[in-house]
Amino acid sequence: MNEEQTWVIQAQQGSDEAFTHLVETYQTPVFNLCYRMLGEPDLAEDAAQETFLRAFQHLHRYDQKRSFATWLLSIAAHYCIDRLRRRKFTIFSMDTEDEDGNTFELPDLDSPNPEAESIKGQTRDRIQAMLKDLDPTDRAAIVMRYWYDYSEVEIADSLRLTVSAVKSRLHRARKELAGLWQEEETRAETERRPYESPAF
Amino acid sequence: MNHQPFEEWLLNDKNLNSAEKRELDLHLRTCAHCTALSATGLALRSANVVAPASGFALRFQQRLAAQRIAERRRKLWGAMVLVLSGFALLTWFVAPFVYAFLNSPAEWITAAVSYFLFFASSVQALTEAAAVLFRILPDFVPPYMWMVFVSALAGLGLLWTISIWQFSRTPQGVSA
Repeated sequence: MNEEQTWVIQAQQGSDEAFTHLVETYQTPVFNLCYRMLGEPDLAEDAAQETFLRAFQHLHRYDQKRSFATWLLSIAAHYCIDRLRRRKFTIFSMDTEDEDGNTFELPDLDSPNPEAESIKGQTRDRIQAMLKDLDPTDRAAIVMRYWYDYSEVEIADSLRLTVSAVKSRLHRARKELAGLWQEEETRAETERRPYESPAF
Repeated sequence: MNHQPFEEWLLNDKNLNSAEKRELDLHLRTCAHCTALSATGLALRSANVVAPASGFALRFQQRLAAQRIAERRRKLWGAMVLVLSGFALLTWFVAPFVYAFLNSPAEWITAAVSYFLFFASSVQALTEAAAVLFRILPDFVPPYMWMVFVSALAGLGLLWTISIWQFSRTPQGVSA
């Protein structure tokens, strides 16, 4: 029995200290998944905290034959998918006019935010900006595949999908990302052109 | 343009041999779609892992403590609402009887005594009838029927125990 399994068993028996060890061990993978899914550090922090809280509350349902990391990331992925769906619904159902007929600006989820900018600067990750255009489940599949090297079987297990559905979602997402990449390249090319010297 | 088999190779992150690599490089020079697929694949594989701000575990402990307090408070409120509703419901049912009793206590005491006597005499009659039945019944039922009856009861008990055991040892899922 390894150290992690001991912590899990102790946590199942009600030890807060053992669960804190598990939080310390998995805080980065869980936070990273939430950040890649939600795109904002504040939301990712909240989602990661909620993931650990749910894991703590449902620890008695964890099957020890399976990987604890997979179980935890599965909770995080489902939570983020639900949150993205709710956010989408809220944005569509919000009225941009109040009772007096005054209009107001909807918060722009992509607007620059100092914290987000600093993380973006740190990671220098162009792909992150494109992930937000993917369907939430496709996004979760992509993150699990490329950030955690999960096999299609493991992704299917985590997201409660069939292996063929995972495969088709991964292909679709990759093609969508490639399309967005191409669009961005074309836009960058068009923006560069006016500043080019007429001599060239 | 025909993207096959290059698109499949890129989408499945296939390990290519040197001949396949050369073929793919040649194709990428002329195909913007596959170039974008290759670039995104590379970007995905080289993306880094973002860590939370320091003190994450401490913030989790604080959140857990707050959650426990909220849960305790919710349970307390739930219990209070349950007790008060039960009390209100009981008052609703009992109030007319209490009112009637207070108006004519003698009539109510007579009714209560007669009910008690009726109940006591019914119990006594039923006990006597059951005693007679148990005295007569063994003469009518052959001994092997008793054995069949006891065996059936034991079988059902065994079946019930096995079912409960099987149900309790079924592994639980991961969903939270």
